[in-house]
Amino acid sequence: MNELRQIWIVFSKESRDGLRDRRSIRTVVLTAALMPLMFGGMFTVMASRGKSAEEIKLPVAGVENAPAFVDWLKQQTGVTIVAAPADPEKAVRDRDEDVVLIIEKDFEKNLARALPAPVKLVSDSTRDSARRKVERTRSLVTTYSSEMAALRLIARGVAPPVALPVRIEEVEVSSAQERLATELNILTLLLVIAALTGGMQVAIDATAGERERGSLEPLLLNPVSRMALAAGKWLAATAFSCAAVIFSLLLTVNVLRRVPWEDLGIRFSVSDADLMSLLALVIPLAFLLSAVVVFASTFARSFKEAQGYIGMLILLPMLPGVVSTLYPLSNRRWLAPFPILGQYALAADVLGGHPPEIGYYILGGVTALACAIVLLILTSRLLKKEAIIFGRS
Amino acid sequence: MIEIRGLRKKFGNVEAVRDVSFSARDGTVVGLLGPNGAGKTTTLRMLSGLMRPDAGTIHADNIDVIADPIGAQSHMGLLPDSRGLYPRLTPMEHIEYFGRLHGLDGAVLTDRAKALITRLDLGQSADRRVSGFSHGEQTKVALARALVHQPRNVILDEPTNGLDVMSTRAVRDLIRGLRKDGCCVLFSSHIMQEVSALCDRIVVIAQGRVVADGTPDELRRQTGHESLEDAFVALSGLAEAVS
Repeated sequence: MNELRQIWIVFSKESRDGLRDRRSIRTVVLTAALMPLMFGGMFTVMASRGKSAEEIKLPVAGVENAPAFVDWLKQQTGVTIVAAPADPEKAVRDRDEDVVLIIEKDFEKNLARALPAPVKLVSDSTRDSARRKVERTRSLVTTYSSEMAALRLIARGVAPPVALPVRIEEVEVSSAQERLATELNILTLLLVIAALTGGMQVAIDATAGERERGSLEPLLLNPVSRMALAAGKWLAATAFSCAAVIFSLLLTVNVLRRVPWEDLGIRFSVSDADLMSLLALVIPLAFLLSAVVVFASTFARSFKEAQGYIGMLILLPMLPGVVSTLYPLSNRRWLAPFPILGQYALAADVLGGHPPEIGYYILGGVTALACAIVLLILTSRLLKKEAIIFGRS
Repeated sequence: MIEIRGLRKKFGNVEAVRDVSFSARDGTVVGLLGPNGAGKTTTLRMLSGLMRPDAGTIHADNIDVIADPIGAQSHMGLLPDSRGLYPRLTPMEHIEYFGRLHGLDGAVLTDRAKALITRLDLGQSADRRVSGFSHGEQTKVALARALVHQPRNVILDEPTNGLDVMSTRAVRDLIRGLRKDGCCVLFSSHIMQEVSALCDRIVVIAQGRVVADGTPDELRRQTGHESLEDAFVALSGLAEAVS
């Protein structure tokens, strides 16, 4: 009897068994749904912070010390001046205010004498959420300062550029889309997690579960090669894994399309073609990660033991994802033949708007599948070991 | 037809099976009798092809089990020591799964599965998931899936262990039916009555060795005991004296 038919028989049984298992359905839904919602919420908060920096309510103390400066501030777009709290430092420390600007008594007097006019900027540098607002305030003050400097030079008959020996012109090489892409690398991470966890339940049930129930020995009494058994179980886990990836991708994209990206100054555009490219990258990983789980949990005598192994394994595909937030993996296509790392790198390029050539997808996919098959051969060898067949907890 | 010669198996320093040889012909029921830990299950595991003996030969219908375990498995139906079922599948699905793995399909498979369900009196629960089944029902499902490919050699490891009267009776009827069909049935047990009620021949194992091999009458004569149970005790004790 041919091997393919046997693989199909095992695959159908494990898939049916998996579909009837509430736990496996729950893991697919939870991993696929929970994370996208979480990240959607995170981006929305980020966007609302971006918005709050553009339209700031700025508490100013000592308004009476510099009426002209305060008038200038009021004319700036998005700036509203409000009364400062009695104790500015305490207010910032207690997080009642993000930033407070204090205009000192000598402001007008020093200004008149062409001495530096003192202001104090009260902020807390440990507070990430206040950073944009503090920067905005600082840039308001420096802008006013340079405008005043220019006026003084003109009054003395000097052209303002004389006082500006060097001028910085900023050339930003990354497009807004690329900057967004670094944030979106999280999307790849989500998909990889879905690929790992989606088929986990089925994979454990078909291996460690089989040993725990004592159904492995009867199964191995059938005239079927160990390879066909391992492959059928692996493919069933992969099917669940793929379902989780697709579900997770659709959900994430729908959530992300609802985030008010305009407030962050970026346009979110992930086209359907990009989505297909991401799937083409992550689906081969689903095959690989399922093979990893099948192999690892064949060692385990029980479900719990297997979950322990997988708990450690879960870090494996996440590590490159975390690294990629520190060292962006874009434009590193030579990573393609390294499973997981390669997919992160190629996905970063897809999301950055520079989709790699099809050869890279094939290279990444083929190496991932090759690793999966090696793991499958190792699993089929494990299934011949007496310690695995008869060793029950 | 099963032939075992000079079987040995060591686990670490423990010699589980030291020297086991016997044969079981078609159309007979052979009982493998022995106290707990005598080496019955280890012997059957080696016979199943899942465990490699350190020495000895095993043949099922003239197929070398050690050289070609998968080829031999098509000729054997085995109820192993562990009877694990899949809690989310029905008895029918269990039988069909194993049947398909044996290369059966379609109407032939359905007919055989239904016949086994009827024969083992599982009709009422045939389409219920097996989680929550009684011990007896579980054993019957395990038996049915082991027999779906109609093996000529049936090997059962303590088939009636822990079963109630009705289930025990069903299993015994099944064994008798298999003998009538011309199968070679080998089953292990430590229960006297069962062996004496069913077996044409008894192989007594103690401490990894065959200490007696013959018809129930021969064993009684050999030991000089009228009751088979006394004979068994005498034979087991004999093994201890020898070692």
